[in-house]
Amino acid sequence: MKRLDRRRWPGDALWTWLCAGCVALSLFMLITLLTLLVARGLGHFWPAPLEALTLHSGEQVIGQPVREAPLPHGAGSERLYFTGNRELNGADWRWVALDDIAAVNEPEDAIRLERSPWGDVTGRLAALEVEGERLTGAPARARLQSLLALPAGQRPRGELVLTTAQGSPLVQPLATITAFQAPNALSTLEKAGVWGQGVWRFLSEGPRAANTGGGVWPAIFGTLLMVIVMSVIVTPFGVLAAIYLNEIAHQNRLTRLVRIGVRNLAGVPSIVYGVFGLGVFVYGIGGSIDTWFFDEALPSPTFGTGGLLWASLTLALLTLPVVIVATEEGLARIPDAQREGALALGATRLEMLTRVVLPMATPAMLTGVILAVARAAGEVAPLMLVGVAKLAPQMPLDGEFPYLHLERKFMHLGYHLFDTAFHGDDVEAAIPLVYATALLLVLIVLVLNLTAIFLRHHLRRQQGGSWSRS
Amino acid sequence: MTRPALPARTPWRQLQDRIATGLITAAGIGVLLAILAIGVFLFWETLPLLTRFETLSLERLSPLAWGTLKAAIAALVVALPLALGGAIYSALFMSERLRARIKPILELMEAVPGVVVGFVAGLVLAPWVERHLASALALVVWLPLCAVLAGLLWHATPARLRGWLPLGRAGLWLLPWMAAMAVLALWAAPMIEQRWLGDDLVTLLDRRFGLDYTTRNTLIVGLAMGFAVIPGVYSLAEDALHDVPRSLMEGAQALGASRWQALWKVALPMAGPGIFSAAMIGAGRAVGETMIVLMASSNAALISLSPFEGLRSFSAAIAIELPEAPPGGLTYHLLILAALVLFLFTFLVNTLAETVRQRLRRRYRSGGGR
Amino acid sequence: MVAFLNDEPAPVMTFPAGERCLSVRDFSLAYGDKPALKALTLEVPRHRVTAFIGPSGCGKSTLLRSFNRLHDLNESAVHQGRIELEGRDIFARDLNVSELRRRVGMVFQSPNPFPMSIYENVAFGLRLERRLPKRKRDDIIEWALRSAALWDEVKDRLHRSAWQLSGGQQQRLVIARTLAVKPDVLLLDEPASALDPISTLKIEELIRNLKNELTLVLVTHNMQQAARVSDYTAFLQQGELVEYGPTDQVFTNPKRQRTENYITGRVI
Repeated sequence: MKRLDRRRWPGDALWTWLCAGCVALSLFMLITLLTLLVARGLGHFWPAPLEALTLHSGEQVIGQPVREAPLPHGAGSERLYFTGNRELNGADWRWVALDDIAAVNEPEDAIRLERSPWGDVTGRLAALEVEGERLTGAPARARLQSLLALPAGQRPRGELVLTTAQGSPLVQPLATITAFQAPNALSTLEKAGVWGQGVWRFLSEGPRAANTGGGVWPAIFGTLLMVIVMSVIVTPFGVLAAIYLNEIAHQNRLTRLVRIGVRNLAGVPSIVYGVFGLGVFVYGIGGSIDTWFFDEALPSPTFGTGGLLWASLTLALLTLPVVIVATEEGLARIPDAQREGALALGATRLEMLTRVVLPMATPAMLTGVILAVARAAGEVAPLMLVGVAKLAPQMPLDGEFPYLHLERKFMHLGYHLFDTAFHGDDVEAAIPLVYATALLLVLIVLVLNLTAIFLRHHLRRQQGGSWSRS
Repeated sequence: MTRPALPARTPWRQLQDRIATGLITAAGIGVLLAILAIGVFLFWETLPLLTRFETLSLERLSPLAWGTLKAAIAALVVALPLALGGAIYSALFMSERLRARIKPILELMEAVPGVVVGFVAGLVLAPWVERHLASALALVVWLPLCAVLAGLLWHATPARLRGWLPLGRAGLWLLPWMAAMAVLALWAAPMIEQRWLGDDLVTLLDRRFGLDYTTRNTLIVGLAMGFAVIPGVYSLAEDALHDVPRSLMEGAQALGASRWQALWKVALPMAGPGIFSAAMIGAGRAVGETMIVLMASSNAALISLSPFEGLRSFSAAIAIELPEAPPGGLTYHLLILAALVLFLFTFLVNTLAETVRQRLRRRYRSGGGR
Repeated sequence: MVAFLNDEPAPVMTFPAGERCLSVRDFSLAYGDKPALKALTLEVPRHRVTAFIGPSGCGKSTLLRSFNRLHDLNESAVHQGRIELEGRDIFARDLNVSELRRRVGMVFQSPNPFPMSIYENVAFGLRLERRLPKRKRDDIIEWALRSAALWDEVKDRLHRSAWQLSGGQQQRLVIARTLAVKPDVLLLDEPASALDPISTLKIEELIRNLKNELTLVLVTHNMQQAARVSDYTAFLQQGELVEYGPTDQVFTNPKRQRTENYITGRVI
């Protein structure tokens, strides 16, 4: 007989540890993903130092280090530099093998300019010539800063003289410069300021240079507008359908069947909704509207092509089950005693619903709508079919009558991310912005989901406290 | 004192009530009809295909069908062990307080948009794995071993120290351990690769077995989509296991069964249908996911068994080709047929899962509450 | 079972037309194919407390809920026969059910105040029909709360949530809420079963006081309670009316063996 106190390694404990490992591994994956997004998405805005390299060949290079990668066959590793000066070097990027580098220093006068044609420039600031003055060093940078704060039209004529890495002078007219960075001359605090500005510009500006620079404001705005239009459609219909199912319809086999059907629709792939939206809303309804009301514009379609309205409608259909299920759950939680109490006081069904039942179900409805919005904000596949645009020339909301242009295409954060990452010309330049966009999207969706979770948690506690007695 | 006899209906309030009821009914039925319309539309638009049956259609659809299947299988191979293992641990072994924190966090994984997962998989993970294929494959074997190793070490430590790292919180404290072990593997794998294989694994595969290696391949799709499928399966399976009446498990343990035996003999048979339906729902998600497949695979429509080659699924084909396909053309109808297949498949799978789940709930109720 | 043999039929209890408030004639009700009430005939006198007693599932609550047609909510319920309130058929097609429910108020087994303030709970019924000036409404609310013996306890916190009250206070609030619409009849469905003994006593005292103003019908399975507060008692069993008479008589000198068995606690 085995002794009771003997400790042994039970064979089946192995499985327990494997299972624990599964939880740890899943968490590990999630944390890695989020860390990656946060680090790369936010790190991009931190001004990287401008390094001046001297290679063994005697060549000079000025650039910002981006990342390192190992060379094949274990021959050390190489580093990618952003060098700019496309018109001189033929490319913005340069790989330098670490073994080739003879010396590295970070000169204070190294500077990176953003300009409208030709992309960015790096070099050393030789002088700023403006209004007959010739400034150098720190005063030049300070003056440049104040000049760039003015709109391009009001700036005095002037030129910036740079020395490129190769030592040749480069003259840049002030009017073409949009921003500059002299990261080596900045203190940590000043860098933090630049970082904050970078984040703000990312959030508030439109994209530049074929989506490789600038910000994502139109995409944020487009996403927001679409989600709002969608909520306006989905909330009343979802809530009414839930009320019908739970409060009015006879509870029988058919209702149960419908309920399962609605629940299952949440599992139907979003692309299928996109196909439905394209076939019915865009080609079907949109095409008919065009032939009836906009035939002078044909064959170029007005409503017969993807647009804000159709995208919102499609996503509304997609998120209907979410709202219906959440609202129904909220309604089912309300004890019948509350309904009977209202009816026993002589309330009609409408009065019972509007005065007692719906106020009690409001948090549940809100939870449903928030979850629907979170789902819609992250959904891209159906939008590719019904109305998203790579770069929308016009915002769907402007000062022109009727202000809200439901037929226009719009930009969407998720699609912007996809398009920049996979269809851009200069993916290397776009990747940091893609990270930032991805981080923004994840943050939006997570915050929405957390709100819904807290709302639901709060709701359960409140009801657990007081309704259990009834 | 007595009031006059009851008045007949007061018209206005009753009328309001009637109108509102009518409106709600109309809206409710309208919504249900709109939902029904999805299926009807898809059927209707595939009908023209029947009139012009061409063998071409089959040729064009079969690589897509294979791609869809391959992607879904790859995702499930990744997701099912992780999700079910996680569910078993957190339902039966994890401390209740930690479970209340960890479960919502894992469920939040589901909220990460597919486009973000696809981007990270396609542009970050895929190039990395191509460069470090041996390390990546080593991790797959090494990390589970590490979990077991942690268990062995844990059982070997004196009980006094074990109190600091209880099994109930292992899901959390294994995290730094696994991270350290992963770093170790990443450091060691290239050296082993050089020593034993003499060359890069990717080149070796090509030379020795003639296997092509595509950067964005099925392996990447499986990992990325597995990530997306885990939370859904985990959540449902965990619910099913956690709802098994505690008294039954305790009864089995009182008879001398170990916790794992009790799980195997009592909890799993009881929660089996729930776990099955969780897996079904995971399969439905994997089959229909669009952005991840689109971004993490090469989108080449080919039929191959190799996990290192790309694929193209129904959903990706729809997303890429449908906007360009003129309505009414053959491609248009074929793609709608693909959508119909996706719709029917997910709908049937989900209905099955839901029915099983409801039956299970009834069984728990009759099996006695906790 | 032997007791059945020498059981004599119960005398029918009737009241003169002027004292009748509710009268039930051959009333049957079934849920689907399960009968709940079988051809009941009885009369409820005005301004008295009538108690329905019987084992659980005997149909006493069903009968009570029929008086204000709350069983309408259950789609499977089918009924036959007549119920009259002050001589008016409550199942008449042109009858206003809302009005009927205002005239026949109901208090439920467990307190169900709405998730609103105390004030709003009492004002709920008042706000449904016509707009009252605030002064008048305040007066009615104070009167209702005083009638329910709750005013002194809540007058300083009328605008606090009703869910903060204790169980007994909540039940009296529900009574006040019902009184505020000035019903003719108050139906009480085991109003004290979820309460502690002191709250129960308060409710019972309230019931005795209220009978000066309206007709009360009380369902209870607590026989002492029925004996303490009611004037007439009806004993129901398996959907049938077994015995109905003045409370003293039913409890001290039951006419039928089944009643006696139940009252003396013998297993039936």
